[in-house]
Amino acid sequence: MAAKLTKTERAYARKVKDAVQLLFFTHHRLPGVRGWELRKELGSDWRNVLDVLDKQIKPLDLQVTRAFDEPDIVEPTSAQLQDARYYITLRGTVDQKTAKTIGWRIDDIAGLAVSVAYLISKQGKAPRVDVERVLQEKLPGWRVKLNLDRYIHQGYLGADEQGVMYLDWRSRAEIDNKKLVDLVVGFGKKEREA
Amino acid sequence: MSSELESVISLCRMVQSGRIEPFDIDFDYVMGVIRKHYPGIKNVKGFCLDAEALKELSSVLERQNQWIAHKSSTLYKDPFMLSQSLMRMDIGAIADAFLKSWHPVVEMEQISARTLAESLGYWGGLIPLDERWQDLEVAERETGTATMQEAYDLGLILTEGFAELLEGFWRELGERTGVGGVIDYWDWIGADTYRDTVYRAYLTVFMVSHGYANVHHDRLLEETKIIHNPEPRPDPEKPKVSLLMMVDYEEWRLWRQS
Repeated sequence: MAAKLTKTERAYARKVKDAVQLLFFTHHRLPGVRGWELRKELGSDWRNVLDVLDKQIKPLDLQVTRAFDEPDIVEPTSAQLQDARYYITLRGTVDQKTAKTIGWRIDDIAGLAVSVAYLISKQGKAPRVDVERVLQEKLPGWRVKLNLDRYIHQGYLGADEQGVMYLDWRSRAEIDNKKLVDLVVGFGKKEREA
Repeated sequence: MSSELESVISLCRMVQSGRIEPFDIDFDYVMGVIRKHYPGIKNVKGFCLDAEALKELSSVLERQNQWIAHKSSTLYKDPFMLSQSLMRMDIGAIADAFLKSWHPVVEMEQISARTLAESLGYWGGLIPLDERWQDLEVAERETGTATMQEAYDLGLILTEGFAELLEGFWRELGERTGVGGVIDYWDWIGADTYRDTVYRAYLTVFMVSHGYANVHHDRLLEETKIIHNPEPRPDPEKPKVSLLMMVDYEEWRLWRQS
């Protein structure tokens, strides 16, 4: 019995290692792996394997995250879970100092925050000219166009041929939309209440 | 008449592109326009326009439904309130709010020791360019003729069509595994010579991609199985499955010894 258990444990450890390779290394043009790919490689208990991996990487301030193509899914079905994309993301957050060291200027971060918050308020879609107009309130015009192109290139925002912008895969994977909106709307509330 | 329908269609499309809110569209008015024009339709173009207007209107209804769902969700905040807050905040405060809700993706790009060793092996076996690009020594030869039989004997022309060849191969698989049966990949492709083994692997790839057989690869056990398909599906309309199969010489030698 003990030997059998060890064998099972070994198989599980191997599956966790496989999951690490699948999730950490970029296999496609975009990072992350679809649920069905994980199921194919890890077996039917793939979700348990991800839970184990999530626990193991917690001390490193990392987590297994999933993002759905449809942002409004609250209680996903098995099919939606298999269709979701899974990533490894930072469990905590970064401060401004760290953000600067990984190549983000404060203007760029604020521009992205405003674009994302604006698109969320518009149910995830708005014409590019409208987003540009909002950004131009606080950023010079040449910088607005440059930044929007950069956000599109990085996968945070997308734009279709009609010039309509939407939240792309990286925003769905990396940004806690609810928290961002709450923080923006709640800004200065405490001071005002006091 | 058509211009009124066309303007209704373009109005509905403005909702899709986010230029106007879903509830800015008066459903009864748009439906009224469609209903008014329906009896006057005389040709296919008119029907198409009518159908398009209905389709766009149904998309508006879908967006209205999503709008209600979004508004009732915890994520909903009044856009006006949101934009006012953004206006009040300085750039530093906006950046701070973003960073508190940002969990960047972690990804790695790294070459493994194994890939490096394999690449070195490849480099070692690579013939230098000056040797590879040497001028070809061409000798003039008399042209000759060959009979059809000689071409068959030399293997330049197949004695049967490729489809027949695949079907024959599929029948052989069925005989060895039984209908719908399973066989280990190496037991199936393995032959007395390496050349024949490669030939069988080559045909197997086509057999799988054309729907005559299936393949199952178990990554954990590192096993590959070929599964006989009781009903072949060589449908030319269906996309073909691309399959990569390794026929490693060392592996063949080990298989032969075992």
